[in-house]
Amino acid sequence: MRQKNTSDHRTGSRPQTRGRTAVWQARVSLLIMINLAQMWILSAAIEAALANEHKQLWPLVIASVLCWAIALSLILWWKPSSRPGASGRQ
Amino acid sequence: MSSEKLKSSIDKVLRDESDVRDASSGYVREFPYERDDEAQVTRREFCNFLFLTSTAFSVSTAAFAAKSAYDSRTEKQFYPARVEGAGELKPGESLNFTYPGKEDTAIMVRNHDGTYRAFGQKCTHLSCPVHYSKANDRLECPCHEGGFDARTGAVLYGPPPRPLDLIELEIHNGEIFATGRKVRGNES
Repeated sequence: MRQKNTSDHRTGSRPQTRGRTAVWQARVSLLIMINLAQMWILSAAIEAALANEHKQLWPLVIASVLCWAIALSLILWWKPSSRPGASGRQ
Repeated sequence: MSSEKLKSSIDKVLRDESDVRDASSGYVREFPYERDDEAQVTRREFCNFLFLTSTAFSVSTAAFAAKSAYDSRTEKQFYPARVEGAGELKPGESLNFTYPGKEDTAIMVRNHDGTYRAFGQKCTHLSCPVHYSKANDRLECPCHEGGFDARTGAVLYGPPPRPLDLIELEIHNGEIFATGRKVRGNES
């Protein structure tokens, strides 16, 4: 991954840029952890279904949907705050 | 870093890039892509990809659970079906067949005392096909080393969480018929 940041030299706001980078890294890290958790949940659901343990399935589905909702909130709302004059792709 | 070192580093990077382009030029027509674009996977695109993966995991889990619950609540109708070749089995031999559908694989074992037993052939761990081990007189799963009793289908060892499906058998006029298939929980 490579980041284009065209506004650093114009604005000279290095601490804010570092903050934005930290927020982006936190988002990516959280999303990766959510994906790993969901992968584990899916494998647990497959094992529970094959074992005829249907009572275990619905909590697993709820947990997976909850993870998805957290990922959705990360994508939609948990963003670095925009600043005037900022441009370029993140 | 001195300017000479910096210059040599830059030259090396550019030379490497040139080498890769030369090496891959013959394949560009077959696999057209832009190396520059490929290198520009942004964090936003990566986050979107992770979110899509999360969606796929959730949908898969929900679909799997729904199908499993539906299958467990659906009452299946079973019809008697003659097991071809069962009469020729000798004690200590096994026979593969399908019941009730063609995709529902099963295995029949004639035990040393002459009785017949039949079970679903899919291992209850991860659905690998089990086989009859004459030497050990048990059904074994080669994938993860699970073992089942050849008389009851109960788990003897390994990761399977429940017994094999039981195929109900009836003998009429010396011919063996499968009459039902029972999915068992982990009560035994």
